Amino acid sequence: MGPNNAGKTAILDALRIALGGRGGAVFNEYDIHLHNENDNPKDSEGVCIEIISKEKMPGEWSEEIIGTLGDTIQQIPGGERGSFLYSVNLRVQYNWNENSESFEPSWDFLDINNESLSGGNLRSNLENYRSFLPIFYLEALRDVRNEFSSRSSKFWKRLLKDMNIPPDLESEAMKIFGALNNKLLAADDRFGDIVNTLDNTIKVTTRDTDGSLDLRIAPMNTWDLISRTEILLQNESEVPWLPLRRQGQGIQSLSVIFLFQAFVNHLLRELYHEESVPVLALEEPETHLHPHAIRTLFHHVNSLRGLKVIATHSAYFIQHVPLRDIRLIRFIDGETKIHSLPPNYTVEIPEFGEFDSIVENSDGLLSNTPGTLTVHGNLDDQTYRKLQKNIGIDQDRTDLETKLGELKEKSSKHIKDEELYKLETMAQRTRGEIFFANRWLLVEGQSDYIIAHAISYALNYDFDRYGVTVIDCKNNGNPATFAALARALEIPWLAVFDNDEAGKKYIQAIENRGIPNEEVNNRCCLHNSGDLEQQLVHDGLGLELRNILNNLGITNATNFDDEGLLDCLAKKKMDYARELATHIKDNPQIAREKITAFKTAIEKLQDLS
Amino acid sequence: MTDKLNISLQELTDIQRKAVDWNDEPLLVLAGPGSGKTRVLTTRIARILEQSPKKNFRILALTFTNRAVHEMKTRVANLVPGLEERAAIFTFHGFCTKILRQHGAHIGIKSNFEIYSRKADREALLEDVLKKEFKNMWPIDINLLKYIDSLKTKLIKPEEASIFLQENAGMDRQKSEHIGLVYQLYEEEMNKSNALDFNSLLYYTRQLMRRTELRGLYKTIYRYWCIDEFQDTNGTQYELLKQMAGNDFRRLFVVADDDQTIYEWNGAHVRRIKCLVNDFGCEVIQLTDNFRCPRSIVDAANRLMVYNVRRDKSKHPARATKVKSDDNNPAIQCLVHNCDEEEVSEIVNCLANLNPYERGKTAVLARTNALLGPIRKKLEEKKIPNSLMTRKDDFSSPQMRWIVACLKQINRPQNKRNLVKLNETFRSFTEVSVETEDIIMHAETELKDLLTVWIESILKDSLSCETKKVVDLLRKLNRDSFNPSREVKELIECLKPSEFKGDFKEDVSAWNRIVGEIQSAGKGVSLERFLQGMELRSKEPTPRQNSVSLGTIHSIKGMEFKRVYFIGLAQEICPSWHSVKNPNGGATIEEERRGCFVAITRASEQLVLSRAKKYNNWPKDPSQFLGEMGLYLASS
Repeated sequence: MGPNNAGKTAILDALRIALGGRGGAVFNEYDIHLHNENDNPKDSEGVCIEIISKEKMPGEWSEEIIGTLGDTIQQIPGGERGSFLYSVNLRVQYNWNENSESFEPSWDFLDINNESLSGGNLRSNLENYRSFLPIFYLEALRDVRNEFSSRSSKFWKRLLKDMNIPPDLESEAMKIFGALNNKLLAADDRFGDIVNTLDNTIKVTTRDTDGSLDLRIAPMNTWDLISRTEILLQNESEVPWLPLRRQGQGIQSLSVIFLFQAFVNHLLRELYHEESVPVLALEEPETHLHPHAIRTLFHHVNSLRGLKVIATHSAYFIQHVPLRDIRLIRFIDGETKIHSLPPNYTVEIPEFGEFDSIVENSDGLLSNTPGTLTVHGNLDDQTYRKLQKNIGIDQDRTDLETKLGELKEKSSKHIKDEELYKLETMAQRTRGEIFFANRWLLVEGQSDYIIAHAISYALNYDFDRYGVTVIDCKNNGNPATFAALARALEIPWLAVFDNDEAGKKYIQAIENRGIPNEEVNNRCCLHNSGDLEQQLVHDGLGLELRNILNNLGITNATNFDDEGLLDCLAKKKMDYARELATHIKDNPQIAREKITAFKTAIEKLQDLS
Repeated sequence: MTDKLNISLQELTDIQRKAVDWNDEPLLVLAGPGSGKTRVLTTRIARILEQSPKKNFRILALTFTNRAVHEMKTRVANLVPGLEERAAIFTFHGFCTKILRQHGAHIGIKSNFEIYSRKADREALLEDVLKKEFKNMWPIDINLLKYIDSLKTKLIKPEEASIFLQENAGMDRQKSEHIGLVYQLYEEEMNKSNALDFNSLLYYTRQLMRRTELRGLYKTIYRYWCIDEFQDTNGTQYELLKQMAGNDFRRLFVVADDDQTIYEWNGAHVRRIKCLVNDFGCEVIQLTDNFRCPRSIVDAANRLMVYNVRRDKSKHPARATKVKSDDNNPAIQCLVHNCDEEEVSEIVNCLANLNPYERGKTAVLARTNALLGPIRKKLEEKKIPNSLMTRKDDFSSPQMRWIVACLKQINRPQNKRNLVKLNETFRSFTEVSVETEDIIMHAETELKDLLTVWIESILKDSLSCETKKVVDLLRKLNRDSFNPSREVKELIECLKPSEFKGDFKEDVSAWNRIVGEIQSAGKGVSLERFLQGMELRSKEPTPRQNSVSLGTIHSIKGMEFKRVYFIGLAQEICPSWHSVKNPNGGATIEEERRGCFVAITRASEQLVLSRAKKYNNWPKDPSQFLGEMGLYLASS
């Protein structure tokens, strides 16, 4: 997921090229990364796509797979010490070809050092490889006329072709259709006239023998019959049956996805292997669907067999996607960046035994294989130091220390399963759009949310236009989680909290997430004087607030002393905030001079990274 | 089942069928000449493929010549079209090349290694090493290569060489250490050049196969293994086979004929068949029917082999299946000439009297190439087309050698040794050349590759129009879009082979055959893979139509001719002087006898045995083999 032009489709295309071959998709000079406007794509390094397929654990791949991929398969260390995993690495390189004057792809399988295995029977090796990972692509604009065509659709046509009609029934049906055809033609004399006129065609074109011409209304043969198969829908019991192409766009679009499912269920094993894993590259499944349909669609797509790679910018669609499965794609500083929330982090290290006992005693935090060390959570200081101390004497210490440092740094962004689960339940299900934001402003409650929006409007910095999402953390989880999430996903963020016990605790909690003090001080600020309401009163908005409460029907509001006012505001947070927001929008002066914590934060947001 | 396979199965004899249908246990098929062993082998492969249509395992078949590989591939494809991809048919060296390319990275071998098959290339490399390292301290002795090869065959590493030579060859310390050092330097230089010689292919494959998991992988991918002409297996090849099979692999199917063991000089050994039977617990089937030769030849061959006392006593005599031959036209004829010149001219006269079609089905065989030389010369004089059957490591014409050097240069842009060769071959057919030292210097200072600089400086010379065109075409060759049947073909055509008689034309014919063979394994082969394939193949030209085949006993294995002239059947010629003087308890004579056996059993209709009373003016007795075959009386 990600905003437009971030590179989502390019990733799907890359998959299609690598797994689907020339017929899948093509890259041309417009897809080549250029460093600046004077760069010539012809001089570039081209495009390189690598697909790594490997066993999760030793013995996962069957003899069938190993036998079929025999010419390209590699053995890499993995699993227990001394054991190995099978892998197949495929590389596609797009380079400028002088002879054809275009970018040409070349496919190559790689050895364990990522060197080309240089050919062999490349075509058959590719075919074998792809038969285990057949790729299917459904584009955003799914046209049922094409997808359900008995001529052009790769799914529908294949399904229909596979249908078995018993020969008895077939000949019986053909007999009936023959008779029916004659009756229909005889029903109107004009059919005969048409035949006579068109017959001239034959007379003109044939030479030696007499040709003949006929009209056919009923199907001529079984394929002619089956290919007319059409899907009819009746939305409600009283309305007429209508063909699919007469249904709304949403139904049409959806039906194509289910057609794919039918194809996979009925034909995949027959066409490929028992172990084949279909790869579905699906673009914008949300097209033409209403929010509820989009939300339920995820469950349908998720239940499809195989590997699904879905490009979406629907906040509704991702509301049910597990957070670990999301890849956030953004274009930052001239570069497409991909962020995710991995469950663990791995570094490649030389094979040696000194870490084994630390791993064993790490209570599941660490795991290792020959050549890798993995941390399943945040690598704490104590364990980190233990690892450092136990680097083998024969090892390149500097190199390993750098690697451990990187591992620590990466793992400090780890978010635990429980926390993500809470986020999934509380925030993601209602606020899917936060993942599409360019910047986050974290505030405490809903009144902060409303007033922050009003101030931004008054300051001419419209949050929507600049992709800023304000998150009222108290209602959606807690601020520290959002700060950690922002950090992991590299979403620039700021926070404004109440200057009270709770606000200070939030900042402390953020610090506890391993975010350096300096950064916390930079990103988080408190209102100057107490909580939001105290700040408003302190900023001299008492009169306005009393009037607002009065208008809200609170008798005596105009006579409240400050304490009474604050009490009442605390009870009417949402109501007063809404009224005050209107007031701020009408009087931008307030936004510029009062509640300065918000004002400062909003100004800072504008060039925040 | 395909019709062709069905028919092929029907046509088998009971015993052949038994071999084809053999289960998953180890089997040795002892198959005499003309007993249909290739047919049994290919039908068996086809049978297993046909019976496992939904499976993806492959059948590994190893043999010794690319000719046999091609023949077997064609037959299997013909029997079970569409399934032939699962038949992995290789020469031993081809199989090792494949393994090293795919998995060599585990022991530091890059997949794009180059194969040095030519002795000259290896000598040049060794010479460079010796010059650089020892200057004038030791004489440059390229014969050291023999030691290196022998050590490598025994899997002795450079660091172990000295001790090994002292302990096993009784060599003194100084010399053994020198050889060890040379061996080490040679290996380092080969490594630096990312090159492997023939022995290294086996050496490193064995090293790689120490990995249990890799052996497991190969047993999974290749569920059945077939070995053709097992009697030719040398020690290293057999050890590799045993190593790969381990203790648990059973599905081994071996075809051999101990009577055709004629490569003892290359490490083959008659005893190895016995080792195989013991090591794998093979059952044995004997195919004794000879479908090829007339009865009198089969009888002569049977009589001959009885004299090999080391031969397995359980071996049955061959049985001729051909119907009785025409008594007026006996299948065996013996000729006696006064001297070798007379032998040559009379044999050539006989050949001249044959019609061209018959000549194409005729072979002249001899113990050594030396005997064939004069025949060839005479045939050339009389303009009788002939082809010498011999393994050729390199092309003969400078044009073809130049093209290969160019391809190698494109593949390895920084290879200086190759640039020298490229420059020299170019000079020998254009008389244009440049100083390679200058090229190397320029390339280094201008950061360009050697070939580009060479082309630039050649073009500065005043070239003929045609030469310029050739060099221009060379510029069109590139690594990424290499296609031997497109740009290279254009380049060859531009050199106008049709205007050259002899070498170049023959080389082009060999080139085309090699391209065809390599491409039959899959189109779109990369340049480095192509060069690897070319190095593994012999560069002899495809025999011209209706040409007489000339071959030594060792070069015509597995072949068949309607008419065979076997010349030089005199004592000390065949059997050789060496074997007569050093009988080695009879072992060397026995190998000579097997050679004779191989030669006579090539004939499917007629065998002419010829001898002269004098060779090089030395009187020679008739070959003892004539007597052993029961033919001496007939000839005297």
